[in-house]
Amino acid sequence: MTAQQQRMDALSNDIANVNTTGYKHERTRFRDLIASPTGLGGAEQVGAGAGAAAESAGRGWGQGVLQTTGQPLDVAIQGDGFLQVKLADGRTGLTRNGSLHIDARGRVMTAEGSFLQPPVTLPEGVSASDVQIASDGTLAAQGRPIGRMVLVSVTSPHKLDDTGAGVYTTNAASGAARAAGAGTTVAQGTLEASNVDLGDAMVELMAAQRGFQMASQAVRSQDEMLSIANGIKQ
Amino acid sequence: MERGLYIAASGMLAEQARQDLISHDLANASTPGYKADRTITSSFSAMLLKDASSGQSVGALGLGARIEEQVTDVTPGPLRETGEPLDFAVQGDGFFAVRGANGVRYTRDGQFQVSARGGLVTASGDEVLGAGGQPIRVGPDGTVAGTEIGVTRLDAAKRAGDNLFTGTARGASTAPVRVGALESSAVDAVRTMADMMGSLRAFEAGQRVITTIDSTLGKAASQVGGI
Repeated sequence: MTAQQQRMDALSNDIANVNTTGYKHERTRFRDLIASPTGLGGAEQVGAGAGAAAESAGRGWGQGVLQTTGQPLDVAIQGDGFLQVKLADGRTGLTRNGSLHIDARGRVMTAEGSFLQPPVTLPEGVSASDVQIASDGTLAAQGRPIGRMVLVSVTSPHKLDDTGAGVYTTNAASGAARAAGAGTTVAQGTLEASNVDLGDAMVELMAAQRGFQMASQAVRSQDEMLSIANGIKQ
Repeated sequence: MERGLYIAASGMLAEQARQDLISHDLANASTPGYKADRTITSSFSAMLLKDASSGQSVGALGLGARIEEQVTDVTPGPLRETGEPLDFAVQGDGFFAVRGANGVRYTRDGQFQVSARGGLVTASGDEVLGAGGQPIRVGPDGTVAGTEIGVTRLDAAKRAGDNLFTGTARGASTAPVRVGALESSAVDAVRTMADMMGSLRAFEAGQRVITTIDSTLGKAASQVGGI
């Protein structure tokens, strides 16, 4: 029941983020627990397992649908990769949320306020609407290049640490960030929608609910057995 | 008569053990690649009763029951499309071989991941083995072809926890590997629930036998010889 509860929590989170730019759905993995002997009722080699456990299996990194916004600083990443940003605590974060802005000094930052890493600054007199972003991430204004947003990928994205707000950090299990392959491009004027499939999530939620219900029946049945056993002594 | 008490009690204990196994199946109704257990209940060997005064035999008497054997039913579960590049399912007979700290184990749970070094591993970090027993590398595009993954036939599959099985490998299987799909749990909810109810009622019947014997004993103790 605890395992199904955990799956339901993950699904609720997915459904709540069905409209979050760059959101990737969570994956829950189930595993059966080790068996121990059943005691007097069974032979020595008969073992009853201790149930099931759920654990996070990272995220499903499938591509989300691209939505055209027409905003010059909105970029969607196509393919496997991330934008590299500098977090407030100095660490380097990875995000697929390409809803970018500029601050008062022309520095390009993400929606939650982290600057691109390496930083990109628009020169004096260049407004956001003048910026052209090529598919390799090069920013140009009035025909002159002004910087490049670096696209990176990691070997094992399932193991990335989630810092919330769609920003991830690397660790030993995920491998270090490296330059993304040529197949990874950015599209200006679009955003990547959440990859949560509401239909799938709803079906999963129903399955989780039924799983929960079945486990609770087993609890009830065990309870009834104990009550029957108590009835031996009248 | 007292024998009857212990025989009925052994039946209740066996049903209790069966409930434990059924609960485990129900708890794993969502575990990918899970295989349900079937239990075989058998009676203890019977003994011959003899009339002590005449020496004539009365007949055989069993001494109760216990769960003798637990067999993992390897019937494949239904395949479910997930669309994830590193989800794999064996279509038909056979197991994936994985190598962990305890040696080679087998699994039908194909929810694999890529390790930091670029190898194909299970969620617990065990290496997935290819047809020749070698580790598999994930391609630069983050995918692995289904044909690269080895599928082994397994005899006497026995559950080892963590979705893994032990058993005797019996060569490669020809079953194809489907990419982007997972095998659902093979627990049949209807059958398992029916088993659970049946077991509960059998437990109850055992209790009735005990209370009946108890009341007979009570009568013998209090009424026979009473004036």
